[in-house]
Amino acid sequence: MANKNAVEVKNLVKTYGDVYALNNVDLKIAEGEYFVLLGPSGGGKTTLLRSIGGFIRPDSGNVTIKGQNVDNLPPDKRPTSMVFQGFALFPHMSVLENIGYGLKLKSIEKEVIFTKVTKMMDLVGLTGLSKRMPHELSGGQQQRVQLARALILENDVLLLDEPLSALDAQLRKDMCIELKRLQKTVGITFVHVTHNQEEAMSVADRIAIIADGEMLEEGTPEEIYSNPKNKFTAEFIGEKNIFNGTVVSFNTKNITIDIGNDTIEILNQGYKIKKNQKVSLSIKSESIEIIKNQNKSDDKLKVAQIMGTISEITFLGQFIRYLVLLKNGQEIQVRSPKEVKNIKLNDKVSLKWKLEDFLLHQK
Amino acid sequence: MSLRDDFQPQWKLLLKWGWLSFAVFILMAPVFYTMYISFNELGFGAKYYIFTFQWYENVFSDKQLVNALGWTMLLALITLPIVIPFGLLSAKLYKQSTQKVWIIFVLLSPLFVPADILGSALLVFFKNLNKFFTFISDQTGIYMFETWFDLGIMSAVIGLIVYTLPYVFVVIMITMARYRPEQTEAARDLGASAWRAFWEIEFPQIRAGVFSACAFVVILTFNEYTRTSLLKGGFDTFTSVLISQMLNTGMSEESYAMASIVSLVAIIIVSVILIVTAVRTEQLEKLTRTVKEPN
Repeated sequence: MANKNAVEVKNLVKTYGDVYALNNVDLKIAEGEYFVLLGPSGGGKTTLLRSIGGFIRPDSGNVTIKGQNVDNLPPDKRPTSMVFQGFALFPHMSVLENIGYGLKLKSIEKEVIFTKVTKMMDLVGLTGLSKRMPHELSGGQQQRVQLARALILENDVLLLDEPLSALDAQLRKDMCIELKRLQKTVGITFVHVTHNQEEAMSVADRIAIIADGEMLEEGTPEEIYSNPKNKFTAEFIGEKNIFNGTVVSFNTKNITIDIGNDTIEILNQGYKIKKNQKVSLSIKSESIEIIKNQNKSDDKLKVAQIMGTISEITFLGQFIRYLVLLKNGQEIQVRSPKEVKNIKLNDKVSLKWKLEDFLLHQK
Repeated sequence: MSLRDDFQPQWKLLLKWGWLSFAVFILMAPVFYTMYISFNELGFGAKYYIFTFQWYENVFSDKQLVNALGWTMLLALITLPIVIPFGLLSAKLYKQSTQKVWIIFVLLSPLFVPADILGSALLVFFKNLNKFFTFISDQTGIYMFETWFDLGIMSAVIGLIVYTLPYVFVVIMITMARYRPEQTEAARDLGASAWRAFWEIEFPQIRAGVFSACAFVVILTFNEYTRTSLLKGGFDTFTSVLISQMLNTGMSEESYAMASIVSLVAIIIVSVILIVTAVRTEQLEKLTRTVKEPN
């Protein structure tokens, strides 16, 4: 990965009345990186993207693109191209005219436009569709036209605002692979906004979690998923269970936390804590094993910890999800790739995990 | 909106269409009757009917009528290039603004003022404006503004702009409702200036509404009497000639012919707009129903 930053955002603030859409956001995106802004709807990620693109003027802070401050530049003067959520194709123009529009604005000759557009159409998989009108295209094809229209201008940064949200699940998966391939081929920086975790994990080199106008944390997909530092990230990413409790005791190896009617022991991974401190614990749903009654787990590293009652069993295709009601009234999710034998609703079960599967988040 | 309801009995649907047709017939009957008697050599109220084109031939030799028609068309042609851009900009402002209620109030308020009140108010306004400019001329010796707002073409056009602007605004605003502003953003992002984004991307998609608004302005100008008669000054418009003939000497047979011509033109224009709109709506609905091929 290159060392230079393609995009730098410093202390960006944007308010709408009393609401902070962006609250002192700092961000650095390296050149050639596929960077994803992930977060819940209304969290500020589209506002951040549009501030980079010049569609929104922030109240304070600044944006630089490849070292150049672009705060006073409108969208048509910035070295960015945008792919919009709702396709935004020009319905009265053919595919060829749509893709070539940016080049036409630069007064490039028709023959050159035709050659470039044809090459770009081959790159994105639209060969032979130059005369089609947008309404004659599928959702995936329309998205490819948008991509081609943006990429043909050879700008430094491509901004994608929830580009796959209008597509069905299978098409979305296929387009994720396509986007990743394109980004590797053209080599420019992509900044992609989504609220879909699977989409983010599929395409990103790095992910930033944006919520309530703040950037909570950033990292690689593996870091964000396996080792979230922030409680919100732990709740938002994957199916994680969150326990709120108080530190009862700790030593260099283990920490014991009271979660109300039960205690949980976890591995001390260098946390700085005190006795009676309020903390949150998170564990991935797939890291918990359900064992009927007091039977032993096949995995000796998994230790019986707490008891619960099966309150719901849901078949979700690739896995089965169990909801387990604990003594403290909390319901937690357990994801299993195969059906746990002889488990049915209202059965009393033990929940087991490895000590290091729990992460501690300090309040 | 369709009159059809899948659970509705057929006779109810027929009844609805029948009622609609009856309402249209009632509204258009006087117009059709005027057209009918315009072809009668013996004129209105005659016992017998002799078909003739004579009155239509006479229309174009009636200098007063032709003159009046010319003045009316001139008013329409001057009003059009002023009121259409005004209406277009107002509709764009409405779409972008958060203060929509105020914009609607300001732009539609002339519709709620009776024509004679509005005409009289403008008349008083122009009279006072002329007095003011006369005063300025006497004080400064600059006389170029003195006759600007004398009753004539200028005052009549201003009256027509005030009258037609609400209609233009509404027609264009309705057409603009279908237009998605992301397309303008996309055009700007690709390097288009604001003007090019409007002219090359937005206007092709709203021009049906703009042309409909133009047709409305022409029809309204031809139909307008009260405001224009108060503000026009010395020349005649088509409706002022028709009405003064009616009041003084009764309608001449040429007047029926002229009225029929104008009505027919208006009906054709409105029918074309309705048909084009219906066809376009059907096409758009077809597009949304079209099954897309796999990617």
